[in-house]
Amino acid sequence: MSSISLRNITKRFGDFTAVSDLNLEIADGEFLALLGPSGCGKTTTMNMVAGIESASSGDLLFDGKPPTAKRIQDRGIGFVFQNYAIFTHMTVRENLAFSLTVKQRPQSEIDKRVNAMAKRMSIDHRLDQLSGKLSVNEMQKVAIARSAIAEPKVFLLDEPLSNLDASFRAYMRAELKILQHEFKQTMVYVTHDQIEAMSLADRIAIMDRGKLMQVGAPLDVYNNPANVFVAQFVGSPAINLLEGKLVTEGGNSSLHLNGGETISLPPTLAKNFAKSSTDRVVLGIRAQEVKAGSQNSANEVLVHGMVEVIERIGPVRVAHVHTPAGVVKCMQGVDATHVGEALTVSLPESSCLAFDAASGNRLNYMGH
Amino acid sequence: MPNNNHSNHTGAPEAVGYWSQVGSSPERLGFWMTLPTVLLLLFIVVFPAIMQVYLSITMWSPLDGTPWYLAYQNFDFPGQYWRALLDEELWNALGRTLLIMVVTIPIQFALGMGLATLFVDEFPGKKVFYSILLTPMMIVPAVTGLIFYLCFQSTGPINNHLGLPVSFSWLTDTDRAMITIMVADIWQWTPLMFLILLAGMLSVPNDQILAARLLGASEVQIFRRIVLPRMKSVIIIVLALRTVESFKIFDSISVMTKGGPGVQTETISYYIYRLTFGDFEWGYVAAIGLSILIGLTVLAVQLLKLGAKPDSNK
Repeated sequence: MSSISLRNITKRFGDFTAVSDLNLEIADGEFLALLGPSGCGKTTTMNMVAGIESASSGDLLFDGKPPTAKRIQDRGIGFVFQNYAIFTHMTVRENLAFSLTVKQRPQSEIDKRVNAMAKRMSIDHRLDQLSGKLSVNEMQKVAIARSAIAEPKVFLLDEPLSNLDASFRAYMRAELKILQHEFKQTMVYVTHDQIEAMSLADRIAIMDRGKLMQVGAPLDVYNNPANVFVAQFVGSPAINLLEGKLVTEGGNSSLHLNGGETISLPPTLAKNFAKSSTDRVVLGIRAQEVKAGSQNSANEVLVHGMVEVIERIGPVRVAHVHTPAGVVKCMQGVDATHVGEALTVSLPESSCLAFDAASGNRLNYMGH
Repeated sequence: MPNNNHSNHTGAPEAVGYWSQVGSSPERLGFWMTLPTVLLLLFIVVFPAIMQVYLSITMWSPLDGTPWYLAYQNFDFPGQYWRALLDEELWNALGRTLLIMVVTIPIQFALGMGLATLFVDEFPGKKVFYSILLTPMMIVPAVTGLIFYLCFQSTGPINNHLGLPVSFSWLTDTDRAMITIMVADIWQWTPLMFLILLAGMLSVPNDQILAARLLGASEVQIFRRIVLPRMKSVIIIVLALRTVESFKIFDSISVMTKGGPGVQTETISYYIYRLTFGDFEWGYVAAIGLSILIGLTVLAVQLLKLGAKPDSNK
C-alpha cells in the first residue's frame, strides 16, 4: 500500500508531448480511474507510475518519497495488461505462482497462496491446465490473480475489461470493486469507458491531449464539470450543448443561439455568462434535467423545437428535440410525446452549466 | 458445382464425360496441368534415388567399362554395406565429422544466442552491424575456405598478429588443421544461427517480458522462464538444420586442407568425394550415401519430434 504523487510530470516523445505538466495525488488505498479518449496520455501516465517509462521532467513520489528501487522488478507494482500478457506456455498454476517462484519462496507457501488465490478467483478447477487454452474471461481472472498474489503496493490496470463480453464485463466490474476492498491496495485504472470509471472509481481523473482536465469523485465530475470537455465526456446520454452569442440590452441578457433563435436568460445564469472572456458562450444541460413543456417559472430557459426521434434506453424515453441550434435531448415528461410533434423544452436555471466558448472553461464552476 | 448441372443436362456417356468435364472440374484439371511438373520431379528426385539404391547393391565402377544399367552383372547385396560397416577410414571420417559437429554447433549456438540477445534492443548503428554480421552467411563456402586458407598461412595475418613464428603452421599441422576448419565453419554459420534465433527471440511478445519483469523476475529469470521456452521450437529447428548441414561440410576443407594433412581433416563428405573421383568405387559410394541419408533422416525426425512435443506434459 502506498500513496502516489505526480508532480509537474511531463512526458515527451520527440516533438510530441504525451503528458503535459500533470499534477495528481493518489491517496493510499484509493481507487482512481484515469479516464480519457485514446491518445490522451492516460496509458503513458500509468506506464510512468509503473516505471516502464520515465518522465521527461517532474517528480513521481511513492509515499512522498522518490522510488528507492532502481529496477522496476523491485517497485512492487501489480500491472494488468489490456491483453493480459498471460504466459501461455505455462499452466495456470505456474502463472499464478510466477511472482513467488522468481522470489524463491518456499514451495509450501507458494502452494498455499496459489490455491487460496485460485479459489478466491474461482479458477481453481483450471489450475493444472495450460493457460493458453483458457477463455478470455478466465485469462482476465488469471491476469488479475497473478498480479494480486504478489501483494503489490500499487495495482495498475490498463483497460482490463475492454476485451470482455458485456455480461462478464459487468460481473468483473463488481468483482474488481470487491477485490479492491479486500486487498485495500491503491489502484489506478485506465479506461476510456466513462461508465466503467463512474461505477468503479473513488475518484476520476479525466485527461485530454496530455492535460489533466479535472479530478474528482464520480458524481462531482458528473454534476460539476470543470469544462466543456469533461461535461461532454462524462454522462450518458451526452450532455446538451447550445452555443451562442451573449447579448445584454438594458439590463436584460439573452442568448443569440447559432441557428438564429434568441432565448432570454434568467438573472443568475446571465451573471455567470457575463464572466466569459468573449461574448461567445455555451449553455450545457444534461438530458435528465430537461423537461418537456414550459414550467411557467422565472428560473427557466425555454427552447422551441420539433421531436425528431424518440430513443428508448431500457424503460426510459429520450426525446431528441430538433432546434435551430442543434438537437436537445429531453428525458423528463416525454412519456406521451411522439415524433413530429412541436415541443418546447424547459431548462431549469439551476441545472444549466455556463461555459466560455473560447476557453471551454466552466463559468459557474464551484471548484474545490 | 456448375459441372453437376452440366452433366445432368447433357447426360453424356461416361467415356466422353471425363474429357468434357476436365475443364470444369478443378481436381481433374489440376491433375493434368501439374502432370508435366510431377513427371519432371519424379525424374529429378525419384530416378536418382532408385539409381542409387540399385548401384549400392552392386560392385559396379565406371572403370569396369560396362554401362551403369548393366551393373546387376556385378550384383553383391550386402557386400557394399558390409564393407562400409568394416571400413575403418569411413568410421574415422564419420568421427571427424561428428567432432566438427559437436564442437562447432554449440559454439555457433552460444554466439548466435548471445548476439541475438544483444540485437533485440535498439542501439545506434544496429542496422550496419546487423548487415556486417550477416555477410559471412552470404559468402560462397569455397571463398570462405580461401579466406581462411590465406589467414592461416604460416606467414599469414593470424600468425603475424599473434606473434607466432613462421615455423608455427596451422594448415599442415596434424592437430591444428582441424581447428582452422572449425574456425572457418563457425565464422560462416554463426550468422545463420543468429538470424534464426533473433527471429525467434523477437517473436516473444514484449508484454510477456514486461509482465514478468513487473512480477519481479530478473533478466536471467525472464530469459530462462519466458524467452527460452517460447523459443523452443525455433531452437530445435535451427539445431536440427545445422546438424544435418554439418554433414555436408566440404568446400572449405577442399580449399584449405584437401582433407589433410594425411586424412586429419577428412570428413564424411570429403571421404565420399575421394572414393568417387579418386577410387571410382561408385557402388560403394552409393551404399555409403544411402546409409548416411537414412541415418540423418532418422536423426532429424527425432530432433524435430522433440520440438513438436507439447509443453503440457509437466
